[in-house]
Amino acid sequence: MRQRNWFLWTGTLVLVLAFALGAVPFIAQLPGQGALPWLDLLLSILAVVLVILGLRLAIREPQRYRGKAMGWIFTAVSSLLLVFSCLAFYGARQIPQANAAPHIGQKAPDFELKDTSGRNISLAQLLAEPLNASQNSRPKAVLLVFYRGYW
Amino acid sequence: MDAPEVSRNLAQKAGYSFTLLSDPDASVIRRYQLLHSHGGPEDADISRPAEFLVDSSGTVRWTNFTEDIRVRARAAEMLAAAASIN
Repeated sequence: MRQRNWFLWTGTLVLVLAFALGAVPFIAQLPGQGALPWLDLLLSILAVVLVILGLRLAIREPQRYRGKAMGWIFTAVSSLLLVFSCLAFYGARQIPQANAAPHIGQKAPDFELKDTSGRNISLAQLLAEPLNASQNSRPKAVLLVFYRGYW
Repeated sequence: MDAPEVSRNLAQKAGYSFTLLSDPDASVIRRYQLLHSHGGPEDADISRPAEFLVDSSGTVRWTNFTEDIRVRARAAEMLAAAASIN
């Protein structure tokens, strides 16, 4: 009797999920987004494992389980996706440690840089001057965001 | 890293109203020990992502140093940190 090759079906579904997650920019501000790179890796590994198990069934019991051709194709596709996921994971973490950067409780080093109109602005100035003329009070704090140029 | 003109285009396109500062020679990035050597396009020195909340006395009150460039501080986290400062 023919049986459905659930490994292959589930593996394909997980493969699609892993692919979709890899395409989602992680800077999408989702709660718990710190787990997304790990989830992406996990899904990519799971897809390969499930698809290979499905392919094995199709090869060992061809009269019961279909999916030999599909199994080979999805094994190749999911392995490729796993390689890409690993490379992306590795690449995204190749950033220097911030051990020597100012930490909580330390003074933030003052600086002076040009804003978009070419005016020099210092940190001391940002901390002392009201954000706009209608406010007289000094800001309570300044948020400094170092970004990599455009993102 | 971007020059003031590049940042101006970005701010205008995106409608940013906050102060956008340029550090074209990465001097402040270096002062904050955040330099990512050859991390940018064409081997340019850029900044590792980092966020600091500095109170009115100039003291760092909250930081975020991500391990993965795809994961940055969320606006909600930064607002929560700011709300905790009196």
